[in-house]
Amino acid sequence: MDIDDILREVDPTFHSVPLEKRDLQELTRAWVAERSAPELLPWPSHGFFERINDNIKRQIERVEDMTGDMDPKTNFALIVIQTELERYRYLVRSYLRARLAKIDRHALHYLSTDELRARMSDVELAYATRHQALLHNHYLSSFLSSFPPNLQNLNDSAGINMVEAPDLDSAVFVRLLRDTLVTAKGVEDDDAVTVKADDILILRWSDAKPLVEAGSAELV
Amino acid sequence: MALPLPPGLTHAEVAFLAEMELVTVIPRQRLDSIDLLGGKTPPLRPPHRADLPLWLALLLKKQRRANILPPAWLHPASLADIIHAETKINPQAFSDPPPPPSRADPSRPGLARRQQGAGGNINNNNDDDDDGVYSGGLILSAPFRPSCTADAPAGYLPYHWLEVAEQLLAHAGDDVAAALGGGGTAASASSASSATILGEVRGLLRDLVEVRAAKLRSSTAALGSFGGGIMSLRGVGAMELAETRGFVLGVVDGVRKLGASVETARREAEEEGMDEGGDGESDEEMGF
Repeated sequence: MDIDDILREVDPTFHSVPLEKRDLQELTRAWVAERSAPELLPWPSHGFFERINDNIKRQIERVEDMTGDMDPKTNFALIVIQTELERYRYLVRSYLRARLAKIDRHALHYLSTDELRARMSDVELAYATRHQALLHNHYLSSFLSSFPPNLQNLNDSAGINMVEAPDLDSAVFVRLLRDTLVTAKGVEDDDAVTVKADDILILRWSDAKPLVEAGSAELV
Repeated sequence: MALPLPPGLTHAEVAFLAEMELVTVIPRQRLDSIDLLGGKTPPLRPPHRADLPLWLALLLKKQRRANILPPAWLHPASLADIIHAETKINPQAFSDPPPPPSRADPSRPGLARRQQGAGGNINNNNDDDDDGVYSGGLILSAPFRPSCTADAPAGYLPYHWLEVAEQLLAHAGDDVAAALGGGGTAASASSASSATILGEVRGLLRDLVEVRAAKLRSSTAALGSFGGGIMSLRGVGAMELAETRGFVLGVVDGVRKLGASVETARREAEEEGMDEGGDGESDEEMGF
C-alpha cells in the first residue's frame, strides 16, 4: 500500500460508485453493445450474470413479502420497487433475446470453433447444439436424405463456405471512454488518429473491437 | 423468443435509456431510502435536494411528492448560446459534449481533476479486484453521469438532451417554467408568463433540432466520398443517432462494399511495397 492507496481510501469519489450502480452500468453497457454489434459478444465472466439473477430473485421475494402488509407508506415504496424491477428485468430479457437472435441466425458459425463456443453461456451452448441437431434431423428426414451422401452436409467448407458468418466489417457507432489512439481501415486511406474521450465515431466493427475489449470505448 | 429488432437501439430503447439519467428533485414529502436493484435511493427530506433517476423523479412528480429542478442547460439563455455556437462559431460540427465532472485533487492542492473519463486519472490501476468499493477499470458513461442534474453546467448538451428535455417539458412543465422564469420566485410566476417561457424553450429546442438535423444531413454528403476509416460525430445526441443510424451505417457499409476491390488492390500494393523494402509509390501506381 503506497500513498496513492491511502489517498484513495479517504477520497469520497472512490466510494461514490457502489456495486449496484456499477452492475447496472455494466448491464446497460452489455445490452447496448449486444444490440449494436454485428456479432455475438463474449458472455460476461466473473459470475456477473449469476449475481444479477440472484439480485432479481431476492428483490422478487422482497416484493412478495411486502405485498402482505397494506400500510400506505410502504405501499408507495412497493410501487417504486416493482417499477424498477420491471425495468431491470426488461434489460436482462432484451439482452438475452438479442443474443438468442444472433445465435439463431448463425448457429453453425458459433458452433464451429472452440473459441466461438466459449462466447456462449452453458445454457446458450446447449440450446444452440440441440436446436441445430433438431433442425438437421428435420432437414434429413424431409429432403436431405434423397440427396447423394456427399451433398448431405450443412457445413461444407470446400469451395464456397456454406457456414454463413456475420459481417465483421459492418460500421458501428462507438463512444471513446478515454483518450486513445484509434487506427482504422478505410477504402482509400487507413487512419490513425488520437481521439479524445466522449468522441463518437463511425468505425468498422473489426477496428472498434479491440478498443471495446480493452474498455477504451463502448458501442452506442 | 429471439429479438426480432434490427441491430442498433430503436427510439423506444433510447427513450428507456434516457429515463436512467439522474435529475435533481426537491421533495415535498419525506420518503425513506428505498433499496433498489440499481442501488439505494437517497432519503428524501424536504427541502433538501436529491438526485434521482428520471423515471423515479417523474413518478414522484405525478404523485405530487416532489418537484423537478431542470438542468441549467435547459435555460433559454443557455439554449440560445448553444444555437449561436452551432450556427455561428462552428457551423460544421456539433457543439461539444459536457466536460467530465471535476473536483479538487487531494494529491495536488489547488488543482482540480476530472472524476471520470478523459485521462482516466482514477482508472490508472487495471486490477480487477471485486472488493465492491471502487470501480477498477470501469468508466461511467451516459446515462450514469450526472449531466442532467441541477449542477450540470450550462451551455453543453448532454448525450440524452432531446429525450430528457421532452420528458421534462411534457410531465414537469410547471416546474421548468417556475425554475427558469421566476428565478426562485416560483409561486408568484403567473400562468401566462410560464406559458410564454415554456413556448420559448420549446421553440429554441425545435430550432436546435433543426440546426443539428441539417448538420447530420450535410455530413451524409461527406459519407459519399468517405475514404478514410474514421468519421467523428463528436457531440451528437442519442436520439439523433437512432434516427440516422440505419441510413448512415447503410451508406458506410455500401461505400465499403463498392470500394472493396480498390481496397484489396491498395492493400496488396502496400504489402508488396513493404516486402520490397520501400518504393511503395510505384507499386501503388501498378496496383491501380
